Amino acid sequence: MISYELSEEQKIVRSTMSEFANTVLRPETRRLDDNSKIDDGVLSALWATEIIQSQADADGEGRSPVTNAIILEELAAADASLALAVASSMGFVQAIADQGSAKQRELLKAFAGPKFQAAAIAMMEPSFSFDVSKISAKASKAGDEYVLSGKKAYVPLASSCSHFLVIAESDGAADAFIVPRDAAGVKVEAPKGTLGLRALELAEVSFDGVKVPASMRLGEGNGADIQKIVDSARVGLASIMAGLSRGVLEYVVPYTKERIVHGTPLAQKQKVAFDIADMKIDIDAMRWMNWKAAWELESKLPATRTAQLAYTYASQQTMQIADNGLQAFGGHGFVKAHPIEMWYRNARSLSVLEGVAGV
Amino acid sequence: MVDFSLTEGDQRFLDLIQEEYELGRKFAREVDREAEHKPPVVKTLHPALEGKPDPYELLHESDEGTSGHIMVDALMHMVSAKDLDMRPEGLGFGSMVLEDFGTDEQKAKFGHLRLAIGLTEPGAGSDPGNMASTWRYDAATDEYVLNGEKVFISAINKLDGAVTLLRGVPDEQGRRVFSSFIITKDMKGFHEMQQFQKLGMHQFDIAGFTMDDIRVPAINRLEADFGRTMSRFNHNRPLVAAGALGLCRSMLDFTKAKLAEGGIEVDYARGVKARSAAEDKIIRMEALWEAAWGTVMEVKWKQTQLGTTSLGYRTEASMAKAIGGKAARQITQGCLELLGPEGLSEDYLAEKWFRDARIADIYEGAGEIQRILVARDVLGYKKGELN
Ligand SMILES: Cc1cc2nc3c(=O)[nH]c(=O)nc-3n(C[C@H](O)[C@H](O)[C@H](O)COP(=O)(O)OP(=O)(O)OC[C@H]3O[C@@H](n4cnc5c(N)ncnc54)[C@H](O)[C@@H]3O)c2cc1C
Repeated sequence: MISYELSEEQKIVRSTMSEFANTVLRPETRRLDDNSKIDDGVLSALWATEIIQSQADADGEGRSPVTNAIILEELAAADASLALAVASSMGFVQAIADQGSAKQRELLKAFAGPKFQAAAIAMMEPSFSFDVSKISAKASKAGDEYVLSGKKAYVPLASSCSHFLVIAESDGAADAFIVPRDAAGVKVEAPKGTLGLRALELAEVSFDGVKVPASMRLGEGNGADIQKIVDSARVGLASIMAGLSRGVLEYVVPYTKERIVHGTPLAQKQKVAFDIADMKIDIDAMRWMNWKAAWELESKLPATRTAQLAYTYASQQTMQIADNGLQAFGGHGFVKAHPIEMWYRNARSLSVLEGVAGV
Repeated sequence: MVDFSLTEGDQRFLDLIQEEYELGRKFAREVDREAEHKPPVVKTLHPALEGKPDPYELLHESDEGTSGHIMVDALMHMVSAKDLDMRPEGLGFGSMVLEDFGTDEQKAKFGHLRLAIGLTEPGAGSDPGNMASTWRYDAATDEYVLNGEKVFISAINKLDGAVTLLRGVPDEQGRRVFSSFIITKDMKGFHEMQQFQKLGMHQFDIAGFTMDDIRVPAINRLEADFGRTMSRFNHNRPLVAAGALGLCRSMLDFTKAKLAEGGIEVDYARGVKARSAAEDKIIRMEALWEAAWGTVMEVKWKQTQLGTTSLGYRTEASMAKAIGGKAARQITQGCLELLGPEGLSEDYLAEKWFRDARIADIYEGAGEIQRILVARDVLGYKKGELN
């Protein structure tokens, strides 16, 4: 029976997250972007929300992708980099909770500690022709272990990750391997400066003949469903994009009402007012698409199509919203006195990432 | 709980309406070619539907086990294109205004009439303030005297009359007060005009009428001012969007099937760099379709919570209409682009859907009007501050 009603718990989570994001995260965003680093205080505050830890239950019991979509939207309305810092570790934990063997799930105990525990899915590769359907990293079986080689890119918080879930091709299909950061042959490069999401310290990680015991192949003997990881990542990213877009809209409204040009507030010019109407329409539409895809994930239904559509729509419209938002500020949108230029960079960045989040 | 599942009951209604639409599709081309050249006839039940129950009637009689009739109604609009009206014309939009705002006495007297809605005039569509037609009160006979011209009135040739919105002659303060009247075609001074020839929607007639000193008693005047008459739009606008999405669903399915025959199948798993331009275009159009679907269903859910006459969902109704109108244009244009020259042929319905869909972003408030309404709400502006 179709319903858009949030549960009481979801309503509380939404308002708590919104308040947390506005009061704790929002004031930090410019500084973190300037410093290209998320400092420990902010990471601790994120960790204290227990969003990541709560994903660790076996088989996803007690976890709700719909609730997570709501949380990510709220966090991203304040800061997309921080929302992705959460979603990245969350994606790792969820993949293992969902698809890991009992032994692999033991690893998640490490996520019960008091300090922010970064871990990430290493999906993307440093190639202009990268596509999630064409993974170059290889894992070849040799006895009881796999030998993993390849280079991964745009791994969030790579240097602080305890583990990577490395997506590699093995026997003609994509597979996932749990690799500790300190395994021999793993090299985390220095973070690259990137257009957007700078605070995430996106970095390359190379795997050079890394020996991975067969017991660390996700799902062990049966292997893992990589498409599920991609689907979940797409919905996670789309939720973050919905949040980013909302942040833009909420910032554009008061400014355009106050700014007087040619005798009237900017917001009374139809071009600007119509852009604002379209932002509102598209942000809501993104949210409903995200909820639908998340609901399918939550109901264990095939979600590949709706996840793709939610991600495609969010990618396209978020770029447009950030673009029109910047345009409404004119030169003031181009300078760092306002966050619009940062959101413009983040919008383009988020909408090209794949496989890096979870919902 | 957020839920997107269809109940068995929902599915039963969707299957019923799908079956009916598919029956109609066989006659769609013939009607598209001929309807406007034949004199309009009072429509009866199409023989193909003999003995088949009306799914909408069934739904209103019992929506047990469904997501509720407001929701299912919208879902039914979205299953596929409705190419043909195969049942006798139901109550018109004007009848719904009577139902919402008529007194018991008015409903008893006029409730059996099937009434169109007469708003648009040659010089006033989006801006009813420009209406030139008038009403005035004649104290000598205790009657209202109506004059003017209405155009583009849906199904007026098949219905019994209309609820028409007029402006009064200036009162002492110079104001021209809006008021709605029930008029019937048998009234002296009512003249129906020829139906319009148009781009698409040939199965659906529109015509104009003039009012030449029509005299009506007080009971024909509805307590429905401008706002009330327009409030029915909140229910209807998302349904217009939904109908357009049903049409787009057929267009997308047809396009995907034809591309698949040529070996182009859409793969939703792969990323943007591992797909062809054609696949990418389909995915983007389907994404827009889903975006509009979610918006329509959200407003219908809200309408269910608040009640149909509530004004609490009007911005969402405008949002649904705006995104549905945009989807109708982009999806039909995009599919024909992908289908190429073969898509232009009258051997298929694609070119008809392209023509039919275009009205969705115009009637019941054009896209621009919906955006004004949404922007006013977001920006906290009143009429006059943003027009
Ligand atoms: C098939 C069909 C069925 C119809 N059925 C009915 C019916 O049953 N009853 C009825 O009363 N009418 C009906 N109409 C009329 C329809 O509602 C009007 O055509 C519609 O409201 C637009 O009005 P208009 O044609 O006068 O265009 P205009 O109002 O002249 O608008 C022209 C263009 O200008 C734009 N525009 C207008 N105002 C603004 C503004 N303030 N800012 C920016 N842009 C603006 C519009 O969006 C549009 O794009 C029907 C029309 C058709 C074609």
